[in-house]
This record gives sequence, C-alpha cells and structure tokens, in this order.
Amino acid sequence: MGSLFLLGLIIFCETYTTELPAINLTISPRVFPYAVAGLLMGLSALLFINILRGDTALPEGHPEGTPIEKSDFKSFGTVLASFLAFLLLIERAGFIIAASITFFGITVAFDNKKHGRAAIFGTLFITVIYLAFTRFLNVQLPAGIFKGVL
Amino acid sequence: MNNVQSLIDGFASALTLTNLGFGLLGTFLGTLVGVLPGIGPALAIALLLPITYTVSPASALIMFAAIYYGAMYGGSTTSILLNTPGESGSVITALEGNKMARRGRAGAALATAAIGSFIAGTIATAILAFTAPTIADLAIQVGSADYVALMLVAFTTVSSLLGASQIRGFIALSIGLALGLVGADLQSGLSRLTFGSDAALEGIETVPVIVSIFALGEALYIASRYKDLGWNVISMKGKALMSREDWKRSWKPWIRGTFLGFPLGVVPAGGSEVPTFLSYSIEKKLSKHKEEFGEGAIEGVAGPEAANNANAAGALVPLLALGLPTSATAAVILVAFQTYQIQPGPTLFLTNGALIWTLIASLFIGNALLLILNLPLVRVWVQLLKIPRPYLFAGIVTFALMGAYALNTSIFDVQVAIAIGILGFLFRRFGMPITPLILGLILGPNLELQFRRALQISAGDYSTLWASPLSKILYLVLIIALFTPIIVRIVRKVRKDAVAR
Repeated sequence: MGSLFLLGLIIFCETYTTELPAINLTISPRVFPYAVAGLLMGLSALLFINILRGDTALPEGHPEGTPIEKSDFKSFGTVLASFLAFLLLIERAGFIIAASITFFGITVAFDNKKHGRAAIFGTLFITVIYLAFTRFLNVQLPAGIFKGVL
Repeated sequence: MNNVQSLIDGFASALTLTNLGFGLLGTFLGTLVGVLPGIGPALAIALLLPITYTVSPASALIMFAAIYYGAMYGGSTTSILLNTPGESGSVITALEGNKMARRGRAGAALATAAIGSFIAGTIATAILAFTAPTIADLAIQVGSADYVALMLVAFTTVSSLLGASQIRGFIALSIGLALGLVGADLQSGLSRLTFGSDAALEGIETVPVIVSIFALGEALYIASRYKDLGWNVISMKGKALMSREDWKRSWKPWIRGTFLGFPLGVVPAGGSEVPTFLSYSIEKKLSKHKEEFGEGAIEGVAGPEAANNANAAGALVPLLALGLPTSATAAVILVAFQTYQIQPGPTLFLTNGALIWTLIASLFIGNALLLILNLPLVRVWVQLLKIPRPYLFAGIVTFALMGAYALNTSIFDVQVAIAIGILGFLFRRFGMPITPLILGLILGPNLELQFRRALQISAGDYSTLWASPLSKILYLVLIIALFTPIIVRIVRKVRKDAVAR
C-alpha cells in the first residue's frame, strides 16, 4: 500500500525533473505521467482508508471467512532463486544449463521427492526444447559452453 | 450480400492445408492450456508470439483464435472433473458441473458443456461476421476525442466490474498505465521513467509482462501455499453422452446463454464472469428442477458454458472493429496483430479484408474441430491432469523465461519478467485483478496518442474532449459504470440493516 503511494511519488518526481526537449509541442509529454502519478497516489490513499475500515485483502477465489494460511516462504524462495539462476546463467553458461537448473529448482520447490528423476527428466526435456526451437523454429537461444557440440 | 461472398472466400483460404493445420494445432494447444490449471489462453498466446517472426499472418492469427476458443472448451473439462476452473469463465461451471461429476454424471456434464459451447460459438461467430463490418463502418467517423472517451469507458468498466474491489481494479490499471509510460516518448523523444537505463528506452515489452505476470506470478503464489491446495480428479465412467432428457433440459439454456453472452462480450463489461453468472442465475430461476441446483443441475452447466463461449466471440467485435480489447486474451491477440504491423480498427476490413474473413471462417472451422476433439477424446485430456504438478510448473516456468528471453534475445526482458513475476505474486496474494493491468499497459500508450492528437487539432483546448455527442454519451456510460457498484453496495447494506432491524 505504502509502496503504491511511493510509486506515484516516484513517477511524479521523475517526470518533474526530466528536462523538456526544446521542441514546441501543444501537449507536453508530462501531462500523462502526471495524471497516472496522481491516480496512483489518490487510489493508494483510498485503499488505505478502506484497510483502516476493515477491508482485508483476500486472494481471488479464496472463501470468505476462512483464515489465510501463512505463506510458505521456503518454497517461495526456492522458486525465486530458480528464476534468478536463469537470469544469471543464460548468457554465461547457455540455455540448456540455465533452464535445466531452473526446471530442477521448481520441482524441488513443489515438493517433488525424487530428485534424481526430476534432474534427468528436466535436462532431457530442456535439451529437446532447445533443439526444437533452434533447429526448427529458428529461435535463437544461447548455446553457452555447448557451442559447437550441439 | 457482399459479406457473404467475402465469408465464402474466407472459407476457401481457411481450408488450405497450411491454415487448416495451424487451426488444428491451435485447437489442440487451446484445449491443452484450458485443461491444465495455471495456464490460460492469454499466456499460451503470449508464449507463442515469437513464432510471428516466421509464420504468415493468416496462419498465426488462425492459430491464436483457435487457442482462444479451445481454451474455453478445455476450461470446462477441468472445472467439471477437478473443481479447479482453468480460466475465469469456467468458475460458474464448476458449481454444478463438479457436483454432477461427483454423482457419476461426468459424461453428461462434459457433453452438455461441449455441445453448448459449439452451438453458442457457431451462432455467436455468425453474428460476429455480420455485425463487426457494420460497426467498423460506423466507427470510421469516430474521432480522436471519441477514442479517448471510448478507451476511458473500457478502462472503467474493466476495472470496476472485475474482481471484488473497485479500488483494486483501478490500482491494477494505474500500474499498467505506469508500465506503459516507460521508455522514450514517441512524439518528443523524451525518455520517461527509464532511470538512466538504455535498455528501458525502448519501453517495456508487453510479452514478457503478460507471460511472467501469469506464469511466474502463479508459480510463486502456488509455491507459497502449496500445502492447502490438493488435487482431486474425479474419474470419468462411461462416454461423454447425453440422454434424451438431458437434451431436452439443455437446449433452451444453450440458446439463452448465447444471447446473453454475446452482447456482454461486445460491450466492455469486464470479461466472462458477468455473463456466466447472469446465465446461471437466470437458469436457476427458470428451471423446473430448482431443487437440483447446488446438487448438480444440468441447466447450470449448459447455460453458463454457452454464455462463456458466446462472450468470447462477442469480445472479438470491439477488438476487430475498434481495435479495443476487452479481455486479457483479446489484448494479447491485439499485440499479435501489431507485430504484423496490422492495426485492428475501423479500417481493418478495408485494408486487410481477406485476412479478417479468413480468420472469421477459421473460427467456424475451429469450433467444429473442437467439438470433435473434445467429445470422443475427452479421456485423453483427462489423462493430462495426471502430469505431476512439480513437472507441470517447472515446464511452464522454463517456457515463460525462455519466451521472455527469446523475443529480443535480451537479458533486460528477463529482468523485467522476474520483477513482474513478483508483482504478479503480490497481485494474486492481495486479490488484485490482472486484466486491468494488461489493458493499461497495452492501451495506455494508445490512449495518450489519441489524447494528444485530439488536443493538437483543437490547439490545446480541453473542451474538445467532450464536444461530440458520442463522447457525451460515453462519459455518461463511464459515470454509470463507475458508480453502479457503489450504489449497489449501499442499497445492499441498507436492505441488510432493514432486515436486521
């Protein structure tokens, strides 16, 4: 909630501080960002009032009245770490390694017990995908350390 | 009769081997993503957008449209057998459909859903074929100021009517608008909200945002509360067939659902929740078997399913005739058009007539294929629900990340995707609807463009925005859409208090 207000404020400031180009325009490129910033700040204030009046944020489809279980941050963290692994590895180690690690990480986060099977299956699956996309669909994916081998 | 001739030509080109093949692939993929919970049609199409670089526009659009329709069919299967709606339009189907399945009537429930979807889809597509060109003709006279009003109405209705809270809808919209602002301003070249990053100058790509807000956000959400979500597939006995009695009870809800769903798809009424829910309550009122509602009444499946499919076809009218998407999936299809440098809107039928008629013809064909694909093969789809969930999500996530990267082979897009994924998680956790965000992101730049164009013509005079009669009407609609939920809430509260006393 507070972060929404902050976002509005950031947009406002960033818009305010950027220098206008020296072209004569009827409508400044600032008008629209100002409107969005104003909207965000106004809405966050409204949401704040609603929360004070007892509005609780429930996930959609969550039955009313039942308590929300505490989030499982261990699984959450594992999933997030898998995303980041992909980000860091894709251009350094190549698609196959990066995606296989991500695949494996997600299966771990989702409580899969058979780690060996998941790792083998994931790597095979990713390799097939890699070959299919680069060979047949002409989508470029980094080969990384397998350059020239596959 | 010009339209009939164009439609026949459309059939001729849709029935070529290549296009038919892509249509079949699309119906297959659409059913697949509809069946699997966690991936919807918007995500599936967004993931497949990179193929637009290698495939002809007709083939790609046929495939996307088939995915769009197919997901509606597949979604009902999951609703009925798993009680986990694959997409929002199937939420109502789960109410009665799952009860029917529990009572051993899964076959009849699946059949009435599929046949109802087919009938509704076919009728609605026929209406689409004859109304969209007319609306486009009328819309040619619509000026920039009117477009501004029209888009504001779409924003308001989608934000106010989706989800539980109006404020959350508007917040989602504003965040989408803010994301749409990032990058160099098209008219002045001024860089906005880039915070000095060169990669951000080109703006935030729509595809990584859509892919990650659905796929990555959902994966994070499910991971954070995996324990309290179990899977319980009801096994299906017998064939997907309906008895004479079932037919008798189903056909009227099918027709009513169709004529309820289509118009509500044309006007931006916030997706398929409203028509499916309305259809359900109407069928409940009219049914001779009221006592069965809540225990598995076939009317409660037939009506909403027909409404859902007719609604999907209806949503294509504003998309094609005005360039105005009213749902997340329609928004992604709009992006697909734009990657081919085709701008849907009033002139679409003139500039790309052949393509559009091919697309409409392919909708008829796709519908027929889907009926064939879904009735006898329903068992095959049910098997898919047995894929272990860890593998399923791992596959979705790697596909999503790959899609984000492959579009421009850019690390920046992956960074955006992960950031948006976390945002998607927060949205999911705190009950924020996603569709307004996507509409804001895609239509925001367009809104700004029309807004400035209108003001340039009027030399900065803001009264031009509400000068025309059409825009006056539209602003009236906007005010109604904005205040109706508030008034409804107040009336309900007053009534409740009266009862309490």
